[in-house]
Amino acid sequence: MRLHNANANRFSFRWDGRQIEAREGDSIAAALYAAGHRVLARSRKFHRPRGLSGSFVAGVLGRVDGWPHQRLDAVAALPGMDVRSQNAWPSANFDLLAATRLVPRAWLRGGFEHPNFLPSGTLRFALWEKLLRQVAGVAGAPDRAVYGAPIPGRRMAADVVVVGGGPAGRDEAARAAAMDQSVVLISRGDPPGALGRAGGRDLTPIAEGVEVLAGHECFALYRDGAMVCCAPRDGTGGAVVIDAGRLVLALGRRSFPPLVPGADLPGVMDVHAAVALAHDYGVAPGRQVAVLGLAAEATASHLATLGVTVVHRGPLEELRAIAGISEVSGIHLDHLVGCDAVVHAGPWRTDPVLPFQAGAEGVYRVLSNGPGSNVTMAGDAGLAPDPVSLGAGLNRRALVCPCMDVTVAEVLDLVAQGIDHVEEIKRLTACGMGPCQGVPCWDQLAATLAATSGRPVASFGNPTYRPPRAGLTLAQAAGLHGLVGS
Amino acid sequence: MSPTTTVRADVVIVGGGIAGLMCAFHLTEFGVRDIVVLDAGYPQGGASGRNGTLVRGGFSSPEWSSLFGHSLKRWQGFSRDIGHNVMFTERGYAVIAESDRTVAVCDEALESHRQAGVRSKALDNVGVRRILPNIAHDRVRACVYFDDGGTAPHHAVMKGLIAVCMKRGIVLRYHTPVTGIERSNGRATGVLVGEQRIEANAVVLAGGGHNLDLAAMAGVELDGVSQRIQAIATEPLRPIIDPAMALIDRATYLHQTARGEIMGGTEISEPHVQNVVSTLPVMAATAHHFVEMFPALASVRILRQWSGVIHVSTDCGPLLGAHPDLNGLWLSAGWLYGIAGAPAGGEFLAKAIATGEIDDRMAPFAVDRQRRGKGIVEKSLVIPD
Repeated sequence: MRLHNANANRFSFRWDGRQIEAREGDSIAAALYAAGHRVLARSRKFHRPRGLSGSFVAGVLGRVDGWPHQRLDAVAALPGMDVRSQNAWPSANFDLLAATRLVPRAWLRGGFEHPNFLPSGTLRFALWEKLLRQVAGVAGAPDRAVYGAPIPGRRMAADVVVVGGGPAGRDEAARAAAMDQSVVLISRGDPPGALGRAGGRDLTPIAEGVEVLAGHECFALYRDGAMVCCAPRDGTGGAVVIDAGRLVLALGRRSFPPLVPGADLPGVMDVHAAVALAHDYGVAPGRQVAVLGLAAEATASHLATLGVTVVHRGPLEELRAIAGISEVSGIHLDHLVGCDAVVHAGPWRTDPVLPFQAGAEGVYRVLSNGPGSNVTMAGDAGLAPDPVSLGAGLNRRALVCPCMDVTVAEVLDLVAQGIDHVEEIKRLTACGMGPCQGVPCWDQLAATLAATSGRPVASFGNPTYRPPRAGLTLAQAAGLHGLVGS
Repeated sequence: MSPTTTVRADVVIVGGGIAGLMCAFHLTEFGVRDIVVLDAGYPQGGASGRNGTLVRGGFSSPEWSSLFGHSLKRWQGFSRDIGHNVMFTERGYAVIAESDRTVAVCDEALESHRQAGVRSKALDNVGVRRILPNIAHDRVRACVYFDDGGTAPHHAVMKGLIAVCMKRGIVLRYHTPVTGIERSNGRATGVLVGEQRIEANAVVLAGGGHNLDLAAMAGVELDGVSQRIQAIATEPLRPIIDPAMALIDRATYLHQTARGEIMGGTEISEPHVQNVVSTLPVMAATAHHFVEMFPALASVRILRQWSGVIHVSTDCGPLLGAHPDLNGLWLSAGWLYGIAGAPAGGEFLAKAIATGEIDDRMAPFAVDRQRRGKGIVEKSLVIPD
């Protein structure tokens, strides 16, 4: 459903062979959402429906003009584009591979790649593996058109590197520039500060002299944060390595999804995804939207000013489950409230990956000592995280890791066997080994372990947040070969 | 801290990775019952949960080919032997040469395989195109192919080994760092874990990257260095690379896992590093070699990069057997190709501990061979220059 602020210029592209109408400036995911295609992908094992959520990357991966695993929420729709769903047959919306849900779950703990029902025999396993490789592979190989060579990267130095183009990042960059320091500002948004603007904030212009790397993902920090690595998100340009005198992480905070059954359904999204849909693309998150979380009131009001119909606003503590089969149909409080979209606004947490990497060290296990003295957190990123919400209480049916189909039940069964080490659970369930690389699933995992044991969340920690933080292509990484010595 | 309690075991194994568990499992095959395995970390936390999973039986030297050739045979029946699916798969294993030097290594290897009875063949251009349609063919000068080589995914191997060891009554204690190794009258007599002493007739060191520290604890010398090795994995794709492979000119190995990720690494020497943090130069080098050899992968994204620490001997071969300077101290150490050689290493070491018999295939890998000037020359390894 389009809102009044939608761009009037229309064109079309193809989605699984069908013509889809888009508006100028749309992301592919926004155009599909507006056209009523909410199921964009399927989960790894059980082919549960997945879509735009702002939280789980696997829901927005698709094949664009022969290039697999493109983020449909980050790639702009263009006339004539050929976009296809992955990991589904014949299509994301009608996926016969969902029949895998009929296989007894106990057989598939740990994934299809480790079936409990093939106890021995190399020959039988070889046949199974042939089938498995076709099914588990998710996406077909890239088309010849996107074959390529290393994309040369570059290396530079700066007194100060700021990650984040929102208000706090801009302030920090301006302050450093005013002291005649060389400053590089890295922002995922292009132009920077996309989220802040969608949220209705007036951003001060970026100070003169600050070198801006817009549309770049900061994919890793090495050497305690003294080496900052980023690359264009769309994979088309070379990566950049910056030797940083000082690093400022102005990452802002995200709303983390509630750990309740149904939170993985298409139509459930975080406030940033919802506001970006409504504000940037003129697409309503739903006809009847429920808004839950710490900032439910403010978010509901903001969405209402954009023309969105909000049917419920309230705290997450009342939420027992989100109802729906292939998309949201309501929320279970102490009664059922009908709605076709759920927006969560808080609990607020900083993306933990870069702060982790800025102090990563370890012999037996990589842990973070906390960012070193040359690294500072700025703005909201420096605030203490709100606890992950379990809704009305821990529910075995909720998904700890929606991309890899890891349920609370699966984790609790391991705990019952005495296995409660997060690294072990990760290895036994593949929790957090999908494209979002543990964010937010490892926080949900720790919350699950804390809730069931009564021990503090911090005592469980998290598995290693391994670089790269978000997809860097082999061609981009290869372009850094020889630029940095060991 | 002096120990306040003492328990007894027949054999104590320090290291609960694949080497240690393989030895423990095989000890039970030889009738040893009272076995304790100690590990400072969590299951799969060391190199046994971080390795490349590649298995091949053939190398350029007869010593390697006979030890690893036997190991390959053991892998083929290992799921049946332990009653758990370890997912060993004979996807094939290609050793690729791109220069005169490595073409000569391939020729030498083929000759050695003929002598040792290892199944291998040289593939011509047409053969390479058939098994590796996506490789940059103009770069390939020679290829030695093992159709019975492949991979043994470490998660399945460790899961199966832990299950069979527990079923056989072996005591597995993870999160239990060894704080001392006791010796008296020129004999290793047991280990200390905090306030507990575990007395044993035999102490086995199989601590991977921590072997040098453990040897120092026992007061003995040990050949080799601790070395960090790094790997990457990409987003999953449907099958585009079938066999496992070693690109020996590039010190690079890779394969496509059963769940579709292209996984592998380039070995850049980082001796004496004992942490598991990964670095940019290694990720960049690995990506460079992947893209040069497989242009189809250029646009594929890297999902993650990680590293592990191994203890590698001077000649890169395992150090297997009794330590000559301390009775009762045994080693399964120095492994560079630990997953490939694990079943044979575990079997032969267990046989030596239980029966005193040194298998001919293990004998060349004696712990003190460097000291005796008997290092083994093996040229077909993926090792840094």
